[in-house]
Amino acid sequence: MALMVLKTLEAMGPLHGYGIARRIEQISGDRLSLNYGSIYPALLRLEQERAIASEWGMSENNRKAKYYRLTAAGRKQLKQETADWEEASAIVARFLAAKESL
Amino acid sequence: MKALWRIWARVTGLFRKNWRDREMAQEFESHLQMHIDDNIRAGMSPEQARREALVKFGGMEAAKESVRETSRLLWIDTAFRDMRYALRGLRLNPGFATTAVLSLTLGIGASVAIYTVADNLLLRPLPYPDARQLVMLYEMNPHRGFARNVISPANYFDWKSQSSSFSAIGGFFDFHVILGDGKRTEEKDAQAVSGEVLPALQVKPIRGRVFTMQEDKDDAHVAVISYRLWQEWFGCDESVIGRQLQVNSRPFTVIGVLPPDFYFNTRTSDVWLTLGLNPADNLRKTQGRWMWAVARLKSGVSLSHARAEMTGIGQRLEIAYPEFNKGWGVDVVPLRDSFVGQAKTSLMILLGAVTLLLYVACANVANLLLARYSVRRREMAVRGALGAGRGRLIRQLLTESVMLGLAGGIAGVVLACFAVSGLVALAPRDLTRSVQITFDLRIVVFAFLLSLVTSIIFGLAPAIMASRGNVNRGLHEESRTSTGGGTRMRSWLVALEIACSVALMAGAGLLFRTLVGLQNVDPGLDEHNVLTFRVTLPSQRYKEEQKRIDFFQQATEELNQLPGVRSASATSYLPLNGIGAGTGVKILGQPPAKPGEEFVATIRTVLPGYFHTMGIPLKRGRDFNAADDVQSSPHRFIVSEAFVRKYLSGEEPLGKQISAWMNKENPFGEIVGVVGDVSDKTLDSEPAPTVYYIHSHLSYGEMVFVLRAENDALALADPARKVIQGIDSELPVSQIRTMETVVRQTFASQQFSAVLLGGFSLASLLLAAIGVYGVLAYSVTQRTREIGVRIALGAEPLTITRMVVASGARMVMIGAAAGLAAALALSGLMKSLLFGIGARDPLTFIAAPAIFVVVALVAAYVPARRAARVSPMEALRTE
Repeated sequence: MALMVLKTLEAMGPLHGYGIARRIEQISGDRLSLNYGSIYPALLRLEQERAIASEWGMSENNRKAKYYRLTAAGRKQLKQETADWEEASAIVARFLAAKESL
Repeated sequence: MKALWRIWARVTGLFRKNWRDREMAQEFESHLQMHIDDNIRAGMSPEQARREALVKFGGMEAAKESVRETSRLLWIDTAFRDMRYALRGLRLNPGFATTAVLSLTLGIGASVAIYTVADNLLLRPLPYPDARQLVMLYEMNPHRGFARNVISPANYFDWKSQSSSFSAIGGFFDFHVILGDGKRTEEKDAQAVSGEVLPALQVKPIRGRVFTMQEDKDDAHVAVISYRLWQEWFGCDESVIGRQLQVNSRPFTVIGVLPPDFYFNTRTSDVWLTLGLNPADNLRKTQGRWMWAVARLKSGVSLSHARAEMTGIGQRLEIAYPEFNKGWGVDVVPLRDSFVGQAKTSLMILLGAVTLLLYVACANVANLLLARYSVRRREMAVRGALGAGRGRLIRQLLTESVMLGLAGGIAGVVLACFAVSGLVALAPRDLTRSVQITFDLRIVVFAFLLSLVTSIIFGLAPAIMASRGNVNRGLHEESRTSTGGGTRMRSWLVALEIACSVALMAGAGLLFRTLVGLQNVDPGLDEHNVLTFRVTLPSQRYKEEQKRIDFFQQATEELNQLPGVRSASATSYLPLNGIGAGTGVKILGQPPAKPGEEFVATIRTVLPGYFHTMGIPLKRGRDFNAADDVQSSPHRFIVSEAFVRKYLSGEEPLGKQISAWMNKENPFGEIVGVVGDVSDKTLDSEPAPTVYYIHSHLSYGEMVFVLRAENDALALADPARKVIQGIDSELPVSQIRTMETVVRQTFASQQFSAVLLGGFSLASLLLAAIGVYGVLAYSVTQRTREIGVRIALGAEPLTITRMVVASGARMVMIGAAAGLAAALALSGLMKSLLFGIGARDPLTFIAAPAIFVVVALVAAYVPARRAARVSPMEALRTE
């Protein structure tokens, strides 16, 4: 979840919680259906880790909303976790391939 | 780093709870609004849009709780809440809280007090750098039963030249001197030390210096003083170095002051002088065994290595000097063991006893908690139904027991604080002679941990038990009808309490029987109304023997004249005091003994009238008289019955010629009397063969006066002092005490342990009785309806009483049997403290559980009687 949030913020720029949840759902092609409420603990954790920062702002249709944006530390974390994830999935993929070739 | 930021955020979150909650609510609200807007845009009705948004969001409260949980250190928060709740609960039930805290105070207080003493004596490092490397070197003669014996200076010098395990070996002995600075004269404890001793202990004088080896060799007139003496006599004057002190009327120069906390072997030494031994003297011919040795192991040398080396050296010396060393070996003992000595056994027993007491206290509180929780089962069920997890319930209950534990711990520390000073006052001399006992932060930390651990021990099982209830059953259950698993567990706890208490009581019983036995031992003298005090003549002014003889004769005569004095005399060493001189004895007409089997006797020198004054019976012949107490009289001796029994094997003792090796020349002399035996050390030790000299032939300058008073012995102390100082105004009178005190000291360690163990076992008896009562009273309340039915059906009150008592009797019996078995298994450890009875003394082992069973049955009878009086109508109406 943290990785998805960070990636979304990188791609979209500052965004509110609802927007992030929506976006994640869209990107996954609605294959990932999540409770929107569960995004907030994840956001808070990232904020506590100083990977993202938040401030209140106005939404496109003039609603007050809390906007989250990526910090420098967050960018670094994203790069790191992306690399980690790619490596991990590559390993798993190789395993699966190896099994088929047997 | 990430983790640190997160913890920081959470800690700050603790203090911004409300603000956080508001902000979260706003955020969620805006989220929903945006979602609803989107949904409406997508064509839903406002109603539908709102519902869909809420569903998509998931559980609103769960999300909030999850965010909250992330936002702060949740457990601290809950802990505070639990504590408030627990406090409220305890306030509502003060009887329970008081009993529980008192039980714990008792258990923890006793444990902490005993632990403090044990910690000081057994665990804490001695106040010397690298104290582990320090050892005492003793001679020993297992064949004759001498362990940790004083050593011979001749052997000491051979050890020094032949051993390689030690970086230093030093000799010393404790004595006392008459110290004067021109203004005052007092008797002070002193230590004569060879040049190696203070450097081996690595003590740094705070002023001046310690002895050089040359000063030791020359026996120079220099002295090192204690911080205490510097304070009291010199007011911490910086110019003390170089000042003169009169030591036994000879001028000594002060060269150093030792630090305030320094002590060695005894804590009372105020003056250190040189030992001044000359290895060139033929010490095996002129001196026996009389001094001590301390040594520092070279780094890297183990105790066992040193011991092996010294054993070898001892064997070589035994072969080289058979007439002197036959049967004698060397023992190497760590310094701490030698300081603590016998006290170790007492302490280990007391540690065991307080542990048992603590168990009993814990079991008692666990018991109370179980009773309390069984009443609260419905509350637990409600909490469970409202979604509290089992772990959460257990934590809530444990918080309560930890608070009880801490309250008990705090009260316990206060109790222990007082108890420790009491203990030290009550403790036998040996226990505190060489080690200081202090109460400090370590102990407080220990007490804190102890109360935490105990509260978890007594709290966990009941908490698990209480939280186990099935929600449904708990809610439906009428509290009075069932006797569930809780009661069974409580019975086991009570049985455990009883087992521990019985074991304790058996131990206390053994010690009390020993004590009574010791008090009934005939000490061989009449210790009532006898005053004793010591007078030491300064050797410088009383160099001539005649002067010493005259002084003691005159003093005894004048003391005899004092009103209230029946008779007065003096001896070199009091009996039953643990000290004395021993030497070889020859009997005319008997072939010389083989090496190692020489006759050895304790030697005392006395003035006429000593036996009469002390109440030692004269069995044959006569006492010394005034005519014997002159230098020109022929040598005459009085011997003890043990001497006759052992060395004269039934022959007529009177008229036999013996010689005891005390002076340069030891002419044979006639035995003129035989007196009853008196032990040198303790009442339970076998009296040694004793030879009594008349003072004129062994004219010690240090004697102990004994006065038999008409009634109050201590009232004679002042008049007696005036008499002594009337003869010589500079003579201090010291160690004023009654013979009763001396005798009592000999069983001080048994008395100490017996009193403490007795106290512990009474406390645990009380706790166990409360336990029995509690369980039965509770079960009677629970079974009121059942009992009512029984009575309605015609059961006699007696039958009901019997039924309830019987249900209690089972746990009492099981507990008592287990306790008895444990006590039988453990009592062997106490063997060295016992006297006159075996470690499995049948009387004790029957009486201890019997007392217990009686008390427990009385405790059971009270609720049983209440049960028998249950009125059936009322009982059936209670539901």
